[in-house]
Amino acid sequence: MIKNNIKQEIIPVAFLTIVVCASVILLSLTNDITSENIEKAKNEAVKSMLNEQFPSMDDYSYYEKSDTYTVFSNDKIVGYAFMANANGYGGSIEILVALENTLLTEDDIVIHGISVISHSETPGLGERIVETVFSSQFNGITTDEVALKDNGGKIDAISGATISSSAVVEAVYKNALEKAKEIRENKDLNFDEGS
Amino acid sequence: MKAIIENLMNGIIKSNPVLVLLLGLCPTLAVSTSIDNAFGMTAAVLFVLISSNIIVSLIRKFTPERVRIPVFIVIIATLVTIVDLSMQAFLPALSKSLGIFIPLIVVNCIILGRAEAFASKNKLPNSIMDALGMGIGFGIAITIISFFRQVIGTGDLTIFDIKILQVPGLIDNPMSIFILPMGAFLVVSILIATLRYTGVINSG
Repeated sequence: MIKNNIKQEIIPVAFLTIVVCASVILLSLTNDITSENIEKAKNEAVKSMLNEQFPSMDDYSYYEKSDTYTVFSNDKIVGYAFMANANGYGGSIEILVALENTLLTEDDIVIHGISVISHSETPGLGERIVETVFSSQFNGITTDEVALKDNGGKIDAISGATISSSAVVEAVYKNALEKAKEIRENKDLNFDEGS
Repeated sequence: MKAIIENLMNGIIKSNPVLVLLLGLCPTLAVSTSIDNAFGMTAAVLFVLISSNIIVSLIRKFTPERVRIPVFIVIIATLVTIVDLSMQAFLPALSKSLGIFIPLIVVNCIILGRAEAFASKNKLPNSIMDALGMGIGFGIAITIISFFRQVIGTGDLTIFDIKILQVPGLIDNPMSIFILPMGAFLVVSILIATLRYTGVINSG
């Protein structure tokens, strides 16, 4: 009777263990096969994202400490880029912000350009943050000018989508200041690792 | 032979998982914004459904009754992770647009439902046919829903970068509500109501 009980208890446990072991083996095999390609695909995605802002780019490096990308063309730094997160109307908006390479030599922080990578704003309204009419307004302005026109800045809000527009503006302004400071603080490090 | 064909047809019309059983509605509503997404999702679900039915049917005689649900879940989760990783590696664009809904296939009721209700009690060929039927049924439903949402919501029917149709008038002023979540509910409910009214699917 006792023996029977043990059998009843152990067999299900043993069976589940075997299934889990088989699953672990299969998954680690899959991981081995795919991990290289996943890395490559991610790399490729970053590259094409940066390329949009810096058409002359031939190489980039990523610095984990400041979470920024340094963009090179012919071994010279042409600019910096980083991801900014904004809280839009329909959820989080991911924006790639590119800064000019004058960052280290001049006091002003000049925005090179922005591109919206992902968002979930209302189609037809907030969605228009992806249009160049809106995003190109950021090209070449300093961080002091990054504000909606109502607040004394240079950015025209999209009509009917004030929340989305100001979310982008705020995120770009806040993150640009923050990241520029970090890039400046780590400039030696950036340069050494990059060159 | 007749039984096998019956198993296949069962999932396509009579017990269509989306339109009759109303199972797996979450991914159906969420990713049916374009036909590309619908095809990608169908392929993923078909693969997981067929593989899980095969495995569950093969081990049905050794699976202890008490741990069968955890065993099914482990099998399904393993298969889904394989699909997820392969998609990220080889189809990054599709993987990005299907996003969280690939990992969520694990909790798609169609798959666990077929493992528990069919594959764990039936022979291998029948189980494969059942999975195939259910998968195709899911695919047909989500493709029809995506078709209406994409055409009405964007006025533009483009499948895998091939332009098929641009609706004049709608292309400039699309009814964006159909791309939004509420559009999904509208399309699904109108579709089911129409199919029932015309007697294509049986409400009984």
